[in-house]
Amino acid sequence: MKWRFLCAVIAVLLGMCAPGALPRAEAAISLEKCTLCHGKPEFRKILVDGKIRELFVTADSLKGSVHAKKTCVDCHFDIGEIPHRERPRRIACTHCHYKGNAEGAPQSDGYLAYIDSVHGKAIARGNVKAPLCQDCHGSHAILKAKNEESAVSQKKVAETCGHCHIEIYAQYKTSIHGVAVAKGIREAPSCTGCHGEHKIYGHLDPKSTVYATHVAEQCSTCHGSISIMGKFGIETEQVETYKESFHGVASQFGSRTVANCASCHGTHDIRPQDDPLSSVNPKNVPETCGKCHPGANPNFAVGKMHIDAKKKEAGVVYYVASFFKYLTICTMLALIVHILLDMYGRTKRLRGEK
Amino acid sequence: MSVESRKSASVVRMSPMFRVQHGLLMLTLLVLALTGFALMYHDNWLARLLIRLEGGVLFRGFIHCTAAVILMAQMVFHAYYMLFTREGKRELKDFLLGIRDFADFGQAIRFNLGAASEYPRIGKYGYKEKFQYWGATIGTFLISITGVILWAETTTMSLLPKVVLDITLIIHGYQGLLAFVILLFWHVYNEHLHPSVFPMNRAWLTGNVDAEWLRQEHPLEYEKLKQEGVL
Repeated sequence: MKWRFLCAVIAVLLGMCAPGALPRAEAAISLEKCTLCHGKPEFRKILVDGKIRELFVTADSLKGSVHAKKTCVDCHFDIGEIPHRERPRRIACTHCHYKGNAEGAPQSDGYLAYIDSVHGKAIARGNVKAPLCQDCHGSHAILKAKNEESAVSQKKVAETCGHCHIEIYAQYKTSIHGVAVAKGIREAPSCTGCHGEHKIYGHLDPKSTVYATHVAEQCSTCHGSISIMGKFGIETEQVETYKESFHGVASQFGSRTVANCASCHGTHDIRPQDDPLSSVNPKNVPETCGKCHPGANPNFAVGKMHIDAKKKEAGVVYYVASFFKYLTICTMLALIVHILLDMYGRTKRLRGEK
Repeated sequence: MSVESRKSASVVRMSPMFRVQHGLLMLTLLVLALTGFALMYHDNWLARLLIRLEGGVLFRGFIHCTAAVILMAQMVFHAYYMLFTREGKRELKDFLLGIRDFADFGQAIRFNLGAASEYPRIGKYGYKEKFQYWGATIGTFLISITGVILWAETTTMSLLPKVVLDITLIIHGYQGLLAFVILLFWHVYNEHLHPSVFPMNRAWLTGNVDAEWLRQEHPLEYEKLKQEGVL
């Protein structure tokens, strides 16, 4: 009798616990099950080409990331049995991250922009090397972009892009912008500062922010801003003077071959003028101008390039322009006065004749 | 002579040769002005429209340079014609500036202001025509020089400091503007609004002017033609 009672109590207790406790137990088991193999530090696979794929994952892998509360199968949802026989498929972030999702995942349409981008199109064409979300944002240790440690933070994104774009990263790292970002200057552009984040297009695509006729506008978002440039003692008039120059006017009217900011100053390798490696260093000016003007010589470097004839700083150019302005005004006035006088005089003359 | 017969008589003022030169000059200057000012005032909506009509900013440059070459060729031909042909030499003699012209100019002003009793007696070309002619000639010559400097930019940038090119560009633009407004105002007044020719002096099309107009506006030429028996 005593044994029966005890069994009944246990059964009732189990029954009460079951609906709430069982799934949690299952999830916990799931993680534990995964780490049975993946929790061993030496758990890795040697691929056909000799590369080693580290497969070591522990319960700490997600700790601190935006997905800290998720478990393995939340993303690796194609794993149905453990141990799994096949390599799990690449993660599709859109499983949760779409507008109107019920998971409470950040509702971004970055993915839509990505699909149309140069990376998204490369994926669609079947390029397995092209990046998916996780290639830039990280796989397990995903942090918010605002977090400095995030793979896509202003400070770290260049390194992330550099995983594939190695040579460009090397150029950028020593450029004025790369050095500034490394120093922790928040205003300095990293890759995404010029190329955009999800909407990255090839520079020959007219939609690109760095398409030939968009370059000046893109550079001017910072270089035309007194509030940004003022902090670093950099002039903002370069943008205006460029727009007024032959190059700038031709660019505004759609010429793709005319020089834009990057044609002279470089793209990823922009350096200050006094740097001997700068493309606008007087020593390198003949070569830089010579790209479009064959026969350019050291004389091309003589004198200031960006001048505004409307400002006194332009010196003699300003005074010549002012002289002509007043000459034209005075000539017009003299002409009009003469015309009026002549009409008056002629009437008088004809009256005399009659 | 009765008033009727005076009015019917007409005198050749522009030979076909000069009418063709005048027409071509007018055409090239208009094309140069339209393409040039479109670039100079490219921020303006009208300039934007013009540049689009001119086939984009690069084709605009092509049109401008083509018109400039025609203008310069015309300038060379005109110099040859004025210096080495019989008609040209005769016209050049009439066009030479003398102290007389400045005196006429002064007297005209004094008369208009009421300080002189007589208006100067003008020959075939008075100070108005001569100032205009020599101004346009010198202006065309100068603007051609600055234009060539800007056109051959790689060569000139190799030889001159950039500031010279900056100044050249300023001079080229403003001189073009100055020449254009002077030609415009002067023509609008002298050839259109002036009461003796209103609404238009048709000599540039027909080559002829009324003898009566000549008698009023160019009395010395009128008398000379009378003496020669042309009238």
